[in-house]
Amino acid sequence: MSRGSENTDDEPPKWMSFRSLLVFSMFLRVFLIVYGEWQDAHMEVRYTDVDYIVFSDAASLMASGESPYKRTTYRYSPLLALLLTPHSFFHRSFGKFLFSASDLLVGWFIHTILKERKVPEKICTYSVMVWLFNPFTFTIGTRGNCEPLVCAMILWIIISLMQGKLAQAAFWYGLVVHFRVYPIIYALPIILVLDSQVFRSDQKPPLEDWNTGQTKTPTSNTEKKTILFNLLTALKSLFSRERIMFALISGGVFLACNAVSFYFYGHEFLHEALLYHLTRTDPRHNFSIYFYHIYLHYERQFSAVEKLISFLPQFTVQFALVSCFWQDLVFCIFLQTVAFVAFNKVITAQYFVWFYCLLPLILPWSRMKLKWEGLLCIILWIGAQTHWLLWGYMLEFKGLNVFLQLWAASLLFLAANTFVLVKIIQRHRFSPLFRRYESSSQKHVKKLH
Amino acid sequence: MASQRRRSLLTLIFICCAISSASSDQVRTSYGDSDQIRSLCISDRFIMESYFTTSHTSLDDSEFRNFLLLQQCSSEHDPTSIVPATSLIQHRNVTGEGSHRNLLTSIKLLPFYSESKLHELVILERLPLGVFADPFELQSLQQRRVFSDVSVFGDTNLELPSFRSNRSVVEIHVEVSPSDYENGEISLKLPLHARYQPLDDSGYSRVEFGEPDLFLCSSHEQRRCLVLSIGRSKTETRSVFWDIPAGIRGHTEYVSALTFAAAVLSAISILVASVLSSKVESCKNSKQS
Repeated sequence: MSRGSENTDDEPPKWMSFRSLLVFSMFLRVFLIVYGEWQDAHMEVRYTDVDYIVFSDAASLMASGESPYKRTTYRYSPLLALLLTPHSFFHRSFGKFLFSASDLLVGWFIHTILKERKVPEKICTYSVMVWLFNPFTFTIGTRGNCEPLVCAMILWIIISLMQGKLAQAAFWYGLVVHFRVYPIIYALPIILVLDSQVFRSDQKPPLEDWNTGQTKTPTSNTEKKTILFNLLTALKSLFSRERIMFALISGGVFLACNAVSFYFYGHEFLHEALLYHLTRTDPRHNFSIYFYHIYLHYERQFSAVEKLISFLPQFTVQFALVSCFWQDLVFCIFLQTVAFVAFNKVITAQYFVWFYCLLPLILPWSRMKLKWEGLLCIILWIGAQTHWLLWGYMLEFKGLNVFLQLWAASLLFLAANTFVLVKIIQRHRFSPLFRRYESSSQKHVKKLH
Repeated sequence: MASQRRRSLLTLIFICCAISSASSDQVRTSYGDSDQIRSLCISDRFIMESYFTTSHTSLDDSEFRNFLLLQQCSSEHDPTSIVPATSLIQHRNVTGEGSHRNLLTSIKLLPFYSESKLHELVILERLPLGVFADPFELQSLQQRRVFSDVSVFGDTNLELPSFRSNRSVVEIHVEVSPSDYENGEISLKLPLHARYQPLDDSGYSRVEFGEPDLFLCSSHEQRRCLVLSIGRSKTETRSVFWDIPAGIRGHTEYVSALTFAAAVLSAISILVASVLSSKVESCKNSKQS
């Protein structure tokens, strides 16, 4: 954390140095964990998330040699239960400390990534604060939710790619897909970005840093090429050494983890940890626009055609985003995650962490000012959520039939998500993650048509 | 000996009065079919422990009574053959709002039973199809000594809607002390949660509660239980119900249509924004195609 000898306007004040932010965040989280234990013991409403109790029970079962899937609603990899087995001999809040530590690690990784891309210290610090001081972020880890672990793994994969460590990136990618299925949506942009023009073996790939493109002369990227030329270029390099290696290692790690889990826990593991997430259609109310549609049709099963049709908007959006933004990898996966959550059949608040951890990584490249466009986006998004929560409260805690209003609120939430996504796209300063070695023949890696 | 005879006499008088005022709103008794089953002898900790493992599937009154008949004590072990099976449920209703409510029951035990060596009141709540009890919540109540023992049997899936689930039964054990006979009432508060109901045009689905089954049991290994009352799924005199919001079938068409329209509209907006903002030539081509 090198600091200049004089405090210029570009440098944040000393108390706001990254190290002091991290230390303060650490104390805040420790305090919240301790407070959480107190609240659980003395108040009727628990601070700890229900999921944490599920993990703990599953970990105890595993520690005593039984299957963690004996615990109903445990729908995660056995790795998670394994990580939490120290519950039995340490304190039961061991897991919360582990998740909060991952949370702090995410902050560290954000700082690392931004520094690698030569983002000025002040902007870097503000971006890190967006993660460390987001109330949702520090409550999620201290309440015992495991999402910070996933976020840390994703960011580590980005760092590994930036450092040219393909095998490392592939290993962690296979592991994170085993852990939580959703990162599979990042497979296509990662594969596309593993261009042999960029990834020479044993060399760190050149990064496009923050300073280039500030002067707004990105005309070199817009050379016109025919569709055929681009298609042939892509097909020619589709099976490059780097891409095959990445696919094999990550695929191998994913299959190995599943094989070991299946060996120990059989069909219960397959059903609860994998298939459940792929086929989940929960009719109970949640932020998704599909919940009421699913509830109204629950008495009869959906046909294969209906399932396919409902998947089309999601698929189209993912494909469009990858096609247009894969070069700016971090921005691409951020957009993909927001869209994936917004169009999913089930949306719970914990899914938001998946893109909260990526938001600080794209902010330095956004031309959006906090006043008033940024604030408008924040207010609209939070406002739509709050509106939904009000109707949800009426349904669940007052027992009123407000299904229609709740469903309308979820449509509004989708509209807010779409608006924010469109605004972010419009205000983003497109900046590829990697710089190409040669500037003469501008080969565009063709997206898959 | 004399005091015992006096007590029995008082009890008989009390029972006669109870029968004569059976139409009063305060007092509810359950007779009828339960006459035939007086006491049970079971080896498990819970009466319902072997119910679902012995090829019983539903919790209907008739199937349940058959199960109890099988658990009956043989006559030489039955110490209570002359005792009338009576209990009083003073009060029963569902309190609270929304999807999480409490089933309140208050039970009055006759002083006569304080002489018996049966110190545990066992209440079986055969829950109707639309609601469920959370086993983990009940466990924490047990840890806080609200009940001495509690367990849920049957369908304990917390997530499925009611038309995809089966009934469940909650067995609650409460220690009774002599002071409970003097004070009069034993109150029970059972937290319950609503399942998603089948669709209904009125927007609400009514779930009705019957009477609980009451037993007075001993605390030893081989438990002897006196059958106090076997409740019915629907009561004739009291109506305890819970109206749970349900989806309205008439909404189906336009909800589905508008949902997909919204999804398609959003997808197109994002697609257009991406294509317009992207600097990559191939995206401009895709817009043309």
